[in-house]
Amino acid sequence: MEQLTNLVISDRELAFISAALNKLMNDTNATSVMLIDKSGQVIATQGTGVRRNATSLGALLAGAFSSSRHIAELLGEKDFRTIFQQGVKENIFTTMVEEQWLLVIVFDKLTHIGLVKVLSKKAADEMGRILERVRADTTRTKSSVINVQFRSSVEDTIDLLFRD
Amino acid sequence: MALINIATHEIHCKIVYYGIGYCGKTTNLQYVFKSINPKARGEMLSIATETERTLFFDFLPLDLGTVHGFRTRFHLYTVPGQVLYERTRLAVLSGADGIVFVVDSQAEKFEENVQSIAELEVNMRRIGKDLGNFPFIMQWNKRDMPSALPVNVLERYLNRRRVPSFEAIACDGKGVFATLRAISKNVMAHL
Ligand SMILES: Nc1nc2c(ncn2[C@@H]2O[C@H](COP(=O)(O)OP(=O)(O)OP(=O)(O)O)[C@@H](O)[C@H]2O)c(=O)[nH]1
Ligand SMILES: [Mg+2]
Repeated sequence: MEQLTNLVISDRELAFISAALNKLMNDTNATSVMLIDKSGQVIATQGTGVRRNATSLGALLAGAFSSSRHIAELLGEKDFRTIFQQGVKENIFTTMVEEQWLLVIVFDKLTHIGLVKVLSKKAADEMGRILERVRADTTRTKSSVINVQFRSSVEDTIDLLFRD
Repeated sequence: MALINIATHEIHCKIVYYGIGYCGKTTNLQYVFKSINPKARGEMLSIATETERTLFFDFLPLDLGTVHGFRTRFHLYTVPGQVLYERTRLAVLSGADGIVFVVDSQAEKFEENVQSIAELEVNMRRIGKDLGNFPFIMQWNKRDMPSALPVNVLERYLNRRRVPSFEAIACDGKGVFATLRAISKNVMAHL
């Protein structure tokens, strides 16, 4: 499948994403939830536990998911969509939103994994619908942000910062 | 895949350093980390073996600050170059917006470089990208080594696509920022 070159998320869609994450966090009593792109970039987080390290977590979780998926593929498993990492205090459940995003739920022993599985599936379906709209909007909104002035300012900033 | 978040006013791009084991990918990121204005970078994350070889990836988030109202970030990654880690390289490539191919200029590494570029071509096709129409540059590293091949030889055999290329001695920082500037601008031009 051809990968998109970019994805533009508007205010409206981010509000829907945040609301869905918040609902998922409350209903499962999770400590944190995150939506990340499979490239490792963080789209949104809810909950205090992950905020400080969100950037590194995004890169690591996406990497871990991608490598687990390749392991599954080598073992002949075709439909690999979730991973569960179990710790002493905290557990992490990650599920795919179509082929593009990862929904991550961090929870402790007060929450049952069964509940997380069911509710994250529902939330992932909803995120899938938001993703559809994001894709549809991407080409339309992009040109309003990435214009000539933006491009030349970025080039200047790159010259200024990326040097010894 | 670049992410443009209108709501939070952020733009994120992913740049991957690719190449054979020991060619100097991690060294490039380490040099950027220690030489760039500390305000422009986050923590560097390295998942490596006990002998400092990359096992999974290195990760360095860079922050250009706010440009025209948008907080612009580049996330730099390296792949593990050892042959063994082929699948891991594919995992790290996922969602890349730009690639720097780091070449070890030494004559005895020539064959390995050729194979690695061929592997990259295959991996790009696997993730549905066409390297011919993608931000992609070459770095001729280890120019200080006595057995380094002449640049025109490297150009002829390793740069078939005639993409921009830069000479480097990554451990001394030479060419590191020139490479980073070129790929960053290339990625922005493709947005
Ligand atoms: N002489 C010389 N040594 C270099 C140069 N660049 C890197 N090195 C050294 O080469 C060795 C390997 O560099 P790394 O950056 O760890 O290599 P890598 O490409 O990340 O290797 P993997 O993680 O195995 O894929 C280190 O000892 C570096 O100091 C260079 O331009 N000249
Ligand atoms: Mg390395």
